[in-house]
Amino acid sequence: MTVIAALPTSGPGAGEQFEQLYRSSAADVYAYVASLLRDRTAAEDVTALAFERAFRRRALFDVRRGTPRSWLFAIARNAALDELRKRRRTGALLHEIADPSTELEDLDSELAERRLLVREGLASLEPRDREVILLKFVGRLSNAELARVLRCSESNAGTRLHRAIERLREVCGVTR
Amino acid sequence: MSRDELNASEREELAALDRILAREPVGEQHLELAALVDSVRAGAPRMDPAFAERLDAQLAAHRRRGGGGARIARPGIRRLALAGSGLVAAAVAFTIVISSGVLSGGTTHPPAPARATPKIPALSILPRKAPGATTTPTGATSAFAGSSVGAVPSTNLSAGRSLSARLVHRDSALTLATSPASMQSVANRIVAATEQRGGVVESSNVAIQGPASHASFSLAVPTGRLGSLIAALSSLASVRALNQNSNDITNSYNAEQARLADNVAARAALLKALATAATATQQASIQKQLNRLAARIAAEQRELDRLLGQGRTATLHVSVVAGASAKHAKASAGPFTTAFHRALHALEEILAIALVVLAIVLPFALTALALWWGATAVRQRARERAMRTA
Repeated sequence: MTVIAALPTSGPGAGEQFEQLYRSSAADVYAYVASLLRDRTAAEDVTALAFERAFRRRALFDVRRGTPRSWLFAIARNAALDELRKRRRTGALLHEIADPSTELEDLDSELAERRLLVREGLASLEPRDREVILLKFVGRLSNAELARVLRCSESNAGTRLHRAIERLREVCGVTR
Repeated sequence: MSRDELNASEREELAALDRILAREPVGEQHLELAALVDSVRAGAPRMDPAFAERLDAQLAAHRRRGGGGARIARPGIRRLALAGSGLVAAAVAFTIVISSGVLSGGTTHPPAPARATPKIPALSILPRKAPGATTTPTGATSAFAGSSVGAVPSTNLSAGRSLSARLVHRDSALTLATSPASMQSVANRIVAATEQRGGVVESSNVAIQGPASHASFSLAVPTGRLGSLIAALSSLASVRALNQNSNDITNSYNAEQARLADNVAARAALLKALATAATATQQASIQKQLNRLAARIAAEQRELDRLLGQGRTATLHVSVVAGASAKHAKASAGPFTTAFHRALHALEEILAIALVVLAIVLPFALTALALWWGATAVRQRARERAMRTA
């Protein structure tokens, strides 16, 4: 995982720092947003919006309040939740992300079955649990970064994460 | 253990999770967790290559427009900062205008030394002020409202014409306190300041007796310069008290003027009668009346002069007592001490203005902050609600 300490807004390295953040996070941000929204078109819009906002607001980034990655995920989360609110108000139809089970055809049956099980289990979780798992597993945030995005304490973030993992195991029938 | 606390094995599992995500090796007991992570990550939606290209192009366009700096975001902050600065500047200007007394006609004050108005601990202005007569913070007054001293009509004007301007007699009492050592110096300066303004010392008494030293003066000064004199004397020592009385004598003057006119007319009639008197007895009687009338006219003339003198000249009773604070020993202080006191006074004024500005700006700022905070909290709560119902 690439760690960027700060986002300078001027100087020779300013553009490169943001570019680095973008390259290292774009796919993860999209995956997180798409999992939250379950709508490919909306996820693309929200991802683009999140990066645009991050680019515009990078002067406001404060390194004392978290890492650039957690800051970026917080922006993406707010944009995604705003999209969910808008959708709830307008009753917009979902353009469900295509069932990726076709991608599983190349895998051996046991692995494919397990991935399908996990995918369904994740989808059946409470949104709050699903989100914390996505931020950790897909966003690869540390617990401190997780706390920053979820606006809670680090210990609370750890507890929420652990409980969410336990619930995922439970719905997937996984035993340790 | 609180709700948020994890036990040792749970903490170890989370630590292992961080190692898995960092692609570091973990123990066998965590392989199941690694498989779970792998499954979740593998099942996460992937970005469409076409969208990735569009996103690249979109951000590249933003970078070109933004020029690598925060030019899109900064103008907002700059505008906010400019608006804030403008608000503060306007508040400062407003405060200065208000405190300088310009709006209440303060510009008509007679010239006084810049720092000649020290704090006045007990100021009482008796409510006998003439209608329209102005009293300024420095005690400066104009004897004739809407008119200058020079516009006072003379008694040489034809009898019967009353004053168009107000004739006001001003009488003030000033009590100063200074150290016994500087009593003589202050007394000398009082005399000098009075004479400098065209006034006279009608009576004085200076007694240098150590702590019981005291001085008193009865001063007469052109009414228009009374304020300036009070300001000048106030800078010599601590002001203990200042009483200012105004007495409108316009009506007395006009009544006297009317009586004079009547008597002048009566004298003219008697003179006519004297010219046509047939007998010596009649002439003697008229002459006697004329003599009495002449004495009355002369007395009335003197009374008019006295009233006019009262209007033109103000009286100021100054008492100087021993026992001033060290702050006002500046009558005999050196230039550095004086400069220091002036600087201190300027700082006090700046601080006072800053406090006023703060008092104006702070409620606005706090209200704006509370509104912003409230709006943010409401928006965040709505987002969390959207998450719960997703």
